[in-house]
Amino acid sequence: MTGFVVRRVAAGAALALVISMLSYTLLSIPHIDVARQLLGQGAAQELVDAKNAALGLDRPALVQYLDWLAAAVRGDFGTSWFTSENVLRAIANRLPVTLSLMAGVTLVTALLSLLLGLWAGVRRGRVDRFVQILAVTGYALPGFLVTLVMVWLFAVELGWFPAIGYIGLEESFTGWLSTVTLPILALSVGSVAGVAQQVRGSVIDVLRQDYVRTLRARGLPPRRIILRHVLRNAAAPALSVLGMQFVGLLGGAVLVEQIFGLPGIGSMTVGYTTRGDIPIIMALVMISVIGVIVINLLVDILIGWLNPKARLR
Amino acid sequence: MKRTAAFLPLLALLAACSGTPSQPGAPAEKSLAIATMTLPQSLDPKDANGSALPFFQAVYDTLVKREPDGTFSPMLATGWTYDAAMTELKLTLRADVTFDDGSPFDAAAVKANMERFVKGGGAQAKTLNDVKTIEVVDATHVTLKLAQPNPALLYYLSDAAGLMANPADFAKGEQLKTQPGGTGPYELDQGQTVIGTKWVFKRTAKYWGTRLPYDTVSISYFDNETAIVNGIRTKQLNAALIQDADQQIAVEGAAGVKTVKQDFDFQGILLFDRAGMVTPRLKDPAVRQGLNHAIDRQTMLDKIRQGRGQITGQVFGPATKGYLPELDTFYGFDQAKARELIKEPFELKLPRIPAIVSDALAASLQTDLAAVGVKLVWEDVDAGSAIQKIFRDRAYSGMVMNMGQSPADWVVVGELVLPGAFNMFGYSDDTVKKLLPKIQAKGEQADLQALNRHLVEDGWFLPFYRMTYLHVSDGSVTITPQDGMAVPSIYNYAPAG
Amino acid sequence: MKWISGLVLGLIVLAVLLAPVISPAGPDVSSLRHAFEGPAPGHPLGFDSAGRDILARLLYGGQNTLGGALIALLVALALGIPSGLLAGYYGGWFDAAAGWLVNLVMALPAMVVLLASRAILGSTVWVLMVVLGFLIAPSFHRLVRGIVAGVRGELYVDAARVSGLSDARIIWRHVLIVVRAPIIIQIALVAGIAIGLQAGLEFLGIGSGDTPTWGAMLNEAFKNMQRDPVLMLWPGLALGLTSGALVLLAAGLRDTLEDPGSRPRTVTPAVPTAVTPAVTPAAPTAGPGERAALLSVRDLAVAYPSGEVVHNVGLDVHAGEILGLVGESGSGKTQTAFSILGILPETGRVSRGSITVDGTEIVGLPEKRHRELRGTVVAYIPQEPMSNLDPAFTVGSQLVEPMRVKLRLGRAQAVRKALDLLSLVEIRDPRRVFDSYPHEISGGMAQRVLIAGAMSCEPKLLIADEPTTALDVRVQAEVLGLLRRLQRDNGLGVLLVTHNLGVVADLCDRVAVMREGRIVETGTARQVLHTPRDPYTRMLLDAVLPLEVT
Repeated sequence: MTGFVVRRVAAGAALALVISMLSYTLLSIPHIDVARQLLGQGAAQELVDAKNAALGLDRPALVQYLDWLAAAVRGDFGTSWFTSENVLRAIANRLPVTLSLMAGVTLVTALLSLLLGLWAGVRRGRVDRFVQILAVTGYALPGFLVTLVMVWLFAVELGWFPAIGYIGLEESFTGWLSTVTLPILALSVGSVAGVAQQVRGSVIDVLRQDYVRTLRARGLPPRRIILRHVLRNAAAPALSVLGMQFVGLLGGAVLVEQIFGLPGIGSMTVGYTTRGDIPIIMALVMISVIGVIVINLLVDILIGWLNPKARLR
Repeated sequence: MKRTAAFLPLLALLAACSGTPSQPGAPAEKSLAIATMTLPQSLDPKDANGSALPFFQAVYDTLVKREPDGTFSPMLATGWTYDAAMTELKLTLRADVTFDDGSPFDAAAVKANMERFVKGGGAQAKTLNDVKTIEVVDATHVTLKLAQPNPALLYYLSDAAGLMANPADFAKGEQLKTQPGGTGPYELDQGQTVIGTKWVFKRTAKYWGTRLPYDTVSISYFDNETAIVNGIRTKQLNAALIQDADQQIAVEGAAGVKTVKQDFDFQGILLFDRAGMVTPRLKDPAVRQGLNHAIDRQTMLDKIRQGRGQITGQVFGPATKGYLPELDTFYGFDQAKARELIKEPFELKLPRIPAIVSDALAASLQTDLAAVGVKLVWEDVDAGSAIQKIFRDRAYSGMVMNMGQSPADWVVVGELVLPGAFNMFGYSDDTVKKLLPKIQAKGEQADLQALNRHLVEDGWFLPFYRMTYLHVSDGSVTITPQDGMAVPSIYNYAPAG
Repeated sequence: MKWISGLVLGLIVLAVLLAPVISPAGPDVSSLRHAFEGPAPGHPLGFDSAGRDILARLLYGGQNTLGGALIALLVALALGIPSGLLAGYYGGWFDAAAGWLVNLVMALPAMVVLLASRAILGSTVWVLMVVLGFLIAPSFHRLVRGIVAGVRGELYVDAARVSGLSDARIIWRHVLIVVRAPIIIQIALVAGIAIGLQAGLEFLGIGSGDTPTWGAMLNEAFKNMQRDPVLMLWPGLALGLTSGALVLLAAGLRDTLEDPGSRPRTVTPAVPTAVTPAVTPAAPTAGPGERAALLSVRDLAVAYPSGEVVHNVGLDVHAGEILGLVGESGSGKTQTAFSILGILPETGRVSRGSITVDGTEIVGLPEKRHRELRGTVVAYIPQEPMSNLDPAFTVGSQLVEPMRVKLRLGRAQAVRKALDLLSLVEIRDPRRVFDSYPHEISGGMAQRVLIAGAMSCEPKLLIADEPTTALDVRVQAEVLGLLRRLQRDNGLGVLLVTHNLGVVADLCDRVAVMREGRIVETGTARQVLHTPRDPYTRMLLDAVLPLEVT
C-alpha cells in the first residue's frame, strides 16, 4: 500500500513537471501582449518594451521557464502581473471557495445518484423510466438556466439565500452554508444526472451476476443483498465516474462562480488566462494537476477497498 | 411537480438556519459596498489608471480635486496659477497634512512623487511628458515648468498624476503595490482585503479634509453584470455602474432600486487608416463619408442599446467646448448617397472583440455596409491577443471601440487626433495641422469647434452613438455621477434621504 | 425509449442536413430593423437580436454544432481506439507509455489548453472541437484497453492464436467485436458531452466567433434575456432534445447490447405436439396420488414473455435420495431447478402447476415465506464456482452471513461453524481460506466453499446445478465424492441437474430425462441407463455410453 502510494506520487511528480513545461510553452508562444495590456492601449512602444523587460518577457521561453521552475521548487510562485497579489496567497484565498463547491457537489451527487441509480436499477419498469427522465432532463437543461432560475427564485425573490458572495467556513458555518448551498445545488443537477445513469447501469450489471442469484438462493433478504453486496460491487465503476466528474467540475464551476459572484479558482482561470497572467496561470495549472493526481489516487485506493481484486496492482 | 414542492421546505429550512448574512457589522457603523468590473494593477500611484481611480482616491489624495461637474477645486493644492505663456504652473500646497507615519506632506514630496510617476513606466506616465522640471520653492510652494503648453495639465493633476504617496515608501520596493500609504480619507484594511476579489477600506483616525459619510468602503470585483445586478437586488451591494442594456432593464424593474443615468462612452469605429496603409480606399475622404452615411445609427441604437443613448457623428462629448449639437445628426442614413460616394466595392477587415462587438452589432454593420458595396470581414480575436494584433502588428484599418468622453478637450485631442495609440499611423492633414497649435496655446472654443467640425466632415471617425450608463443603488445610497468618468469618485456617494 | 430517442435524433440530423432546403434565408442575413420580432411570413420562428431568421440560425447552427461534435468524436476515436487496442492486446512498454500519456492528457488543465490553443490556432469552432477530441480521447483509450486486456487471456483468443492467425487478424476478427458495444455506448455519451461543452464554452467567451452554433444562439439569448426571454426557447430545445436523446439512446443501447441475461439462454418456443412422450407425462413414478414428502413437482410450467420454456414437468425427490435431472443445455433443467428455489430471472414466472417442498406448497407462496425455506430447507449449489462468490467479500464473511441471518447465530459461533464447514468440505487450511478473497482461491476450492455454503444452514434438500461441469476431471471426482458423502451422512435429498450421464451413473438413485421443456422419461438410474424407453434417452446414451458407462 505505501509502496503503491509512493510510486504513484513519484509518477505524479514527473507528470507535473512535464505538464508545467507544456503549459509554459503554450503560454509563452507570443499571442498576448501582456505589457501593452498593463500599460493601456495608448502606451508608446519604448514603454511597452521596457515593461516586457521588467517582467522578464524579453528572454527566451526556456530561460523564463527554468527561472519559474527554480523559484517554484523553492515555493516562490511570484506575484500576479495584473493585480500585484502574491500568487500563493491569491490561490490560498480562492481555493477554499472552489473546494467547498466541489466537495459539496461530490457529496450531494454521490448520495443522490446512488439513491436514484439504485432505485432505478433495482426496481426497473416505471421507476426506472421516471428516474431516467429525471436524469435526462437534468442533463439536458442548460446549466446556466438552472443557475439563473435558482438565483432568481431562492435569492432574489424569496430571499432565502444571498445572491452573491462567499463567507469562509472559518468565519461562520451557517454563513458558509448559506453562500454555498445554491451554487452546489445548481452544479449538482447536471452531475447527479450523469452519475445516476452510471450507477443504474452498474446496478443492473451486478444484479445479473451469478453470485447475486446464489445469495438469493441462500435465503438472504433482498434489502440486505442490495445494500451490502450490490451496492458495494456497483460502487466501484460509479466511483471512477464520480472522480472524473470531480475533475471536470473545475471547468463547470466557472459559470456558477461567475453568476454567484464567488471568488473561486474557476472564474479566476478564465479571466487570468485570457489576460495572460503567467504567474497565476502556472500556479493554477499546478494546482489542477496536483488535484487530478490526488483525486485519481484517492479513487484508486477507494476502488481497491471496494474491489479486492484491484488491490494487487 | 410534487417533488419540487417537497423540496422547497427543505431549502427554506436550510435558509432559516443560515441566518441573514447580508447585514454584517453593527448598525452604528456606516458601510458602503461598491461593485466594480475593473481590476487595479496595484495600489501604487504610478500604476494608477482612469477607471481604477476610486481605489486610489480612498487611500491617496490628489493635488487637485475634480468636482462632479468637472470643475477643479483645492485639495492637497490650495491654489494654482499659470504664467502668461502657459508654460509655468505655480502650486500652493496645504501645510497641515501629514502621512500615516507622521512625516509631513510638502513640496519635496510632490517633486518626488511626480518624478517617480514619470519614470515609473505606468500607463498614465505620459500625461506628465510635457513637464520639464519640478522646482521646490519652499515647503508649501512648487513650480512645474513645461516644455510646451498643456491645456489638460490640471485635469491630469486631478487624476493619476496628482496622487501623492509617502516618499518614505518609495525605497521599500514593491510594498506600495499592496500596502498603499497616502494622506487619503481611508486606509486599506489588510485583514479583510482579498486582492483581486474585494478591497476593504476603513476610515483613517484623523483626516485633514472633509469627513466622508461612510466608515468603511468595500469595493468588490465581478467579471459579469448579472452577479452585480443580483447583488444590488438582494442589497448585498449598495452601488454599481451597469453598462449593458439588458442588465439595465433587469435592475430598473427591481423594487427599491434607485438609478441615475449618465452618457459617458461613445461607441463607434475608430478609423486609424486614413492614410490608406492597410485599406487603400480609406485614403479618400469621400469613402469615409460614404461609410458614415451607410450605417443606420437610429436602428442600431434602438435595437442594440434598446434606445438607451443618443446617436452621434462626433467624438467630442457634450461637456467639451468643441461639442456642436448639430454634428450629432450630421450624417443621415442614406444608402444611395453612400453608394455614390464609395463608388467601387472594397473589402474592410476589422477585429472583433466579443466583449465589445455583440452579435447584433457585427451582423448589422455587415449588412449595412454590404448594401453599399463594402464587404466587412470580422476577424475574431480574444481580448488579450487583440491588443497585440491591433496596436503592435497594426493589422487593421480600424476597430470598434467604447471610448470614454473626457470633458477636457485637450484629452480628447490627445487620445484621438495626435499621433498615438488611436492614431497609430500618425495621420494628419492641413486643417488639423493649422488648428492644433492654436488650440494648444489658447484653447479657444471657436478653434475647438472648427477642429471638431473638420474631423466630422472629413470622416475621421465612424461614431454610432453615446451610450447611457446606469448608476444603480439598492436605495440606501445617493450616487452623484462624475463628469468625465464612468465610475463616480469615491467622494460622490452619500446616504440616501 | 431507445426508438423514440433514435427517431428524435434522426429527425434533428435530417432537418439540419436539409437546412438549405427548409430554411428560407441564410443564417447570416441580418435586418436589424426586424430584431426581436416574432414570427412573420417566411420566418416561422421570428428573428433574433440581430434581426436574423431564427429557423435558419437553428438549422445551420445545428450543422456546426453536430459537425463539431462529430469532429471531436472522430479525433477521440482515431486516437483512443487504436492505442487502446494495442495497449490492451500487447501490454508491455507500449501499454505503460500510453498509460502515462493518458494520465498526462487527463491531468492537463482543459481550460488553459483550450484558451491557449484558441489564441494560437485561431478561434473557430472546429479548432475547439479538435482540441476537445484530443482531450476526451483518453476515455476511449481506457475503455478499450480495459476490455481488451480482459479478453486477451480468454480461450477463444488463445485458440485463434494457436491456429496461427496473425495478431492483426485476431484483433480485427475477435477482439474488436468484444469492444464494439461499449464503444457505441460511449460514443453516444461523449457526443452529448461534446455538444454540451461546446455550448458551455460559448458562455465563458471561448466561443465560435461568427459561426452560428446552438451554443452561440443560447449565449446571445442569454445576453438579451430581459428584452426577449423567448429567444432562449429554440436553441435550448435543440440542445436539450439532442443531448437528452443521446443519453437515452446510450442507456437503451446499453440495455440491448450488454443485456442478454434477462432472458434464459435458449428460449424454446412452446410447441406442445413436437414431442411425444413415451409414457404419459410425469407418469412413471410421479402419479398424482403419491407425492414425495421432501420435493414434489406436478404439472410445472415456466413462462417468459417470449413463451413457455418448461411444460408439465413432474418429479419427486425423497429424503436420502439423489435424483438426476438430465438433458441437453436448453432443455429446461435449470429453469425447473430455479422454479423450485424461487430464483427465476425477473421476467420468468411459474405459470402453472404445483411444487411442494417439505410439505409446503410454494407456488403462490408469498416471497417472504418462500425465502424462509431457502437455505434452511432447500439449498443451492451453482455451476460456475468463481462467478458465484461475491468478489468484494472474503470467503469467510460470505459463509458467516447466511448463518447469522438465517440461524441467528452470534458472530463467534458463526465463525466457528464456518471453519468447521470448511473442514467438512475437505479444505486443508480452513483459516487461510476463510480469510481469502474469492480471486485468491482455485476453482475447485471455490466449489467446495459453495458446497459448504449450501450446507451451512442445515438444509434437507440440495439443488445442485451442474456442480462439477466447470472443474477439471480430477477435481470433479473429488467434489462428487464429497457430495455423495455429505448426502449419505446427513440423509439429504438431492436434485442433481446435469448433462453428464457419467455423473448420473456414478451418483444417482433415479433419473429424469428432459427434452425441450418436458420430462420424457423417469426411472431408476439402472433402468434408464440400461433399458431406456424413450428414443431420445437412447440417443443420449449412444453418444456417451461406449466411453463412460460400462
